[in-house]
Amino acid sequence: MNLLRFKLILFSSLVAGIALRGRMPAAEISGVEAAFDPPVVALEGKSFYRVTVAAPAASIQWPERFHTPIVLKLEGNTRGEILGNVNGQMMTQTTFLFETLALMTGNLTIPPFVIGVDGQRVVVPAATLTVVEDHSITNPPPRRILLEIPKTNFYAGESFVARLLLPVGPANQIDALREVQFNGDGFIAGKTALRMSVETVERAGRKVAAYLQEMLLTPMVVGDLKLSAQGFTAGREFTGAITITGGANGPVILGGGPVRYVLLTSEPVPIKVRPLPEEGRRPGFTGGIGRFTCDPPQLSTNRVHAGEPLLLKVTVHGEKAAVKLTPPPPPQLKDWEIIPEHQSGIGFTLIPLTDEPRATPAIPFSCFDPETGEYVDLTIPPVPVTIISEGVPTALPQAGNDSGAAALKLTGLAPRPGITVSSLKPLQLRPWFVSLQMLPVIGLMGLWQWGRRRRFLEAHPEIVRRRQAIRALRREQVKLRKTAAAGDAAAFVRHAAAAMRIACAPHFPAHPRALVCADVLAVLAGQESAGETARRIFSADDARFAATPEACAGLLALRNDVDAVLQKLEEQL
Amino acid sequence: MKRRRAIVIAAAFLIGGILRATAADYWFAEGTNAMLAGQYAVAARAFADSAARQPAAGTFVNLGIAEWRRGHAGAAILAWERAQWINPFDARAAENLRFARQFTQTDPPQLTWFETASTWLPGNAWVWIAGAGLWLAAGAAVLPGIFRRRKTGWHQALATLGLCIFLFSITASFGVITRTQLGVVIKKGAELRLTPTRNSEMVATVAAGSAARKLKARGDYYYIRTADGAGWIERDQFSLICPE
Repeated sequence: MNLLRFKLILFSSLVAGIALRGRMPAAEISGVEAAFDPPVVALEGKSFYRVTVAAPAASIQWPERFHTPIVLKLEGNTRGEILGNVNGQMMTQTTFLFETLALMTGNLTIPPFVIGVDGQRVVVPAATLTVVEDHSITNPPPRRILLEIPKTNFYAGESFVARLLLPVGPANQIDALREVQFNGDGFIAGKTALRMSVETVERAGRKVAAYLQEMLLTPMVVGDLKLSAQGFTAGREFTGAITITGGANGPVILGGGPVRYVLLTSEPVPIKVRPLPEEGRRPGFTGGIGRFTCDPPQLSTNRVHAGEPLLLKVTVHGEKAAVKLTPPPPPQLKDWEIIPEHQSGIGFTLIPLTDEPRATPAIPFSCFDPETGEYVDLTIPPVPVTIISEGVPTALPQAGNDSGAAALKLTGLAPRPGITVSSLKPLQLRPWFVSLQMLPVIGLMGLWQWGRRRRFLEAHPEIVRRRQAIRALRREQVKLRKTAAAGDAAAFVRHAAAAMRIACAPHFPAHPRALVCADVLAVLAGQESAGETARRIFSADDARFAATPEACAGLLALRNDVDAVLQKLEEQL
Repeated sequence: MKRRRAIVIAAAFLIGGILRATAADYWFAEGTNAMLAGQYAVAARAFADSAARQPAAGTFVNLGIAEWRRGHAGAAILAWERAQWINPFDARAAENLRFARQFTQTDPPQLTWFETASTWLPGNAWVWIAGAGLWLAAGAAVLPGIFRRRKTGWHQALATLGLCIFLFSITASFGVITRTQLGVVIKKGAELRLTPTRNSEMVATVAAGSAARKLKARGDYYYIRTADGAGWIERDQFSLICPE
């Protein structure tokens, strides 16, 4: 069954090839080659279909589709271009590389097809892959580049060193790699190799020599990415210094013979790229990711005049020497002008604008440590510095020949603060002072009011008398309460009589002492009980002057009645 | 209770004032020591601190000397102008101003007649005199009537004198107010611009220490008039003698 299918496919391929040739007359040029590498594989084995054209890639119009056997699966489409010495001539060579998977035994042929080169139609010759069922074939696997990376989880912007290994070829020859490219979205690769060497690596359980090239890569896109590498074998065309270390099984040939530029690729490597955390981000972060330490900053001088520049340099040590740190942005400060130096390392030109600073300013700086997942402070600390003021004269030469005129000069210091003020702002602009001007106004108005009142009282003396009587009555009432509380009946009677006289005096008008009981009773006309109380009080008061004074202890009981009488008299004032 | 509260408030004011004066004296002494040690920047800061707590003529004189030693002619002239603002009779401030203006080739501020009159006494004195004159005149006119005294000739003479004192001192007091718009350019080579914007056309360059009069303000700029012309200047390049 398989044999029948194979014959059918072979027939169809031949027919298609003949038809193509008959329909599109095209030139055959010697610079186009097509071949499988290796030409014989086991069933479901992998091989490479490689088409090499001796022309620049830009001049080649590669067809979108070309005929391939159905049972031959083509994957990927890698292309590379190299300028080199091919058959004694410097020329550009472009290679198209497809990874193939044979799904059926037999001879699988990709028939000739036409491509465009500089506008001409050129035929790519047929290539045949022999697929055998026997898994014990001794053909070596196709030659590949081995891509090694230190880890598969990175932060966006975290640079790492990728190792490209090219083990010795079938004839134990060491080949250098040229025109190395990395395939994969979201990576930035260094332009030149960090290191090239020939080392011994272990492969399939045995030690073999391999060409090693290290390159710096930086993932810039977050997500799950795939990274692969491609490059041309270049014999001994090393593009830089190379070191050879270690040993290998069997002899190793370094180059030899004409160079053959063969495009190789690596297996894709999956990489996961995470974003940098926003939390904990420190000032002065310029995207540096890695483990870094800073030496103490070095100043070109620590004694400088205001306005003169001084150089501040900081040496940064990193785990990965190849990874360079972007210097922090200079802070904007009043006393300093800071200009970043771009020559080497981290450096700043500092210009003190005043003589006030005692130290260089701290320059915020930080990096991100991918191992701990935290930002690390690398702030450049202040360095003590002495800034000298501009020199100015303190005296001027004597003007002209006038010997009498004293030369102007700066005076000495004032020994004391002298006259002080609470503020330089004038008083007349301060609200409280304006308010203060109301005091004399109020004073004058008060005086005017006082004079007016005085005239009024002079015209109405009864008002004065009543007020005086009320004030005197209050005083007598206080004394009355005190004597009653003390149980002094004689004093009680005396003050009660005096209080009644005082309360009645404005009605006559007369001096209180001039009044007698009848005058008080006249004021209390019609009020029997009050009159009786007044009569008893006055009677007891008069008895003080008798030859045998009466005991008046019982009159203390009239205290409430006396208060009621005095209240009535006060109401009549 | 009210009396106790009043006593506490009065005591707090008194203690606050004493503490302020003590701190000002402390910084004055610190500044003097720094000047003697040749640390002019430290001295300038100390004197400025002292003046901020309690403005004093002597403090401003010393602040000006410290700033001059640092090469800040504008700041020095400003400090001496402030010393004269507080005490027009301060000989040190006057001598240093003459010296500085001679050295920097700058002119003193141009004053009107009433502003010149206002410089004869400390600014605050004029307003007290004006107040005293006014109330003397008012008192002489009103009080005899209130106290039922017959108005005599000397009452009227006193009222007239008070009124004259008031009229003259109120003019000088007005001069003090207009002098609050005077200032000093404190930055070297300060630029006067046509409009209050950073990118506007430059009108003139004025030397540090030049006296100028502020006419108006907008944003971060003052419109000032100097002997060299008028234009907009950045606020941090010009300082008023009497800060706002």
